[in-house]
Amino acid sequence: MNDRQLITQLKKRDRNALKDVYREYKTEFFRFASRYTKTNDTLEDIFQDAIIALYENALAGKLDNLNSSLKTYLFSIGKFMLFKKFRDAKEITTDETYIFDQREKAVMYDVYEDEGPSEYQKKMVAGFKKLGDKCREILELFYLQGLKLEEIVSIQDYDNKNVVKSQKSRCLKSLKELIQYNDG
Amino acid sequence: MDKDELINGHLEGSLSDNQLEEFELLLKTDATFASDFEFQNELRTALKKNERQEIKTLFNGLTPEEGTPQTKVIPMRPWLVAASVALLIGLGSWLLFFNNADVNTDQLYAANFAPYENVVHPIERGEQLADLKTRAFTAYENQDYLLALELFKELQIEQSDSYIDFYEAVVLMQLNRHQEAASLLETYIKNNGQLKDRARWYLALSFLKLKAIAKSKNQLRQLVDQKGFKQEAAKELLQKID
Repeated sequence: MNDRQLITQLKKRDRNALKDVYREYKTEFFRFASRYTKTNDTLEDIFQDAIIALYENALAGKLDNLNSSLKTYLFSIGKFMLFKKFRDAKEITTDETYIFDQREKAVMYDVYEDEGPSEYQKKMVAGFKKLGDKCREILELFYLQGLKLEEIVSIQDYDNKNVVKSQKSRCLKSLKELIQYNDG
Repeated sequence: MDKDELINGHLEGSLSDNQLEEFELLLKTDATFASDFEFQNELRTALKKNERQEIKTLFNGLTPEEGTPQTKVIPMRPWLVAASVALLIGLGSWLLFFNNADVNTDQLYAANFAPYENVVHPIERGEQLADLKTRAFTAYENQDYLLALELFKELQIEQSDSYIDFYEAVVLMQLNRHQEAASLLETYIKNNGQLKDRARWYLALSFLKLKAIAKSKNQLRQLVDQKGFKQEAAKELLQKID
């Protein structure tokens, strides 16, 4: 797959596209990042975080008009994270560095600093997994894939936005009930 | 536009300036609306964090040939695992029983404090540095707290928006001036500032640093009761203080 196809697939939350990115760049990323640390676990963490940040920015549409290669984008995220980790590291010049906007950076921070879900968030996810297929799909499209309700209309074959809207709010109501039920 | 649509629009990022204003107003005035939004926002974070973990599991499951550089895995014998667990439990309970008498407020503070993000005045790259508010928040984001303090004070004179108090307080905390920070935060909360629950969290931490344990606990309890911002962290911190 070329970069454009990969980005399209990532936006569909295609797990194979994620694996492709991982396999394609791992060796080279490790070589590039080993200037900062030789610890494999740290390199692995940063590499995985970088792909996740790339993925979330792709979902947010930030890679729709990417004016660099996917590799430059990925490695620039990696560099950003390496600087955060090794604050006193001297900046190394690379051939190309991507310039991120404020929102892309916010995603990178968020992924980098993510220490896993809180207890309540775990409860939410547990409840979410008990919902029916239709509900899980609509909520994932909205909250994870970042689609607007209008865009969901066509994907799920709904009649119009209002149907999606009320379906979504029914699903949220069931979810709340599931979470409360588990509490009591 | 009904309330649901406002929340959806906010999550989609598709609200106009006017709608955003309406949204902010409802968030302050309508408790049901605020809790609906909070729930959905939390759900989005929960799903995201869960997905990140799933992706990592997926990556870790790829065989070494698939991900080229080999990482060494040291196989652990089951008895060794059991022994380590036992040791951890032993140590943990020792710490719990013998080390609890004197709460280390400094450590708890350090573990919980992080400067609040700038949600008031997002700074876009390349923006003119001319206006005071931008300069103040840029200093804040760059962790130049002495400069930020000076600029927030100036800004306070120019326009007396109450959120300035809140950020000024966080800056004072960074500069270890907790008495001043606490009194600013108390005023801010009394005036029903928009980031009131956030302010409570910081006030609790400042009290902690000032060793005003009872006051700190009081703020934390209110956070837990409100079931919103930092409720989990507040609960945890309360347990640790007790």
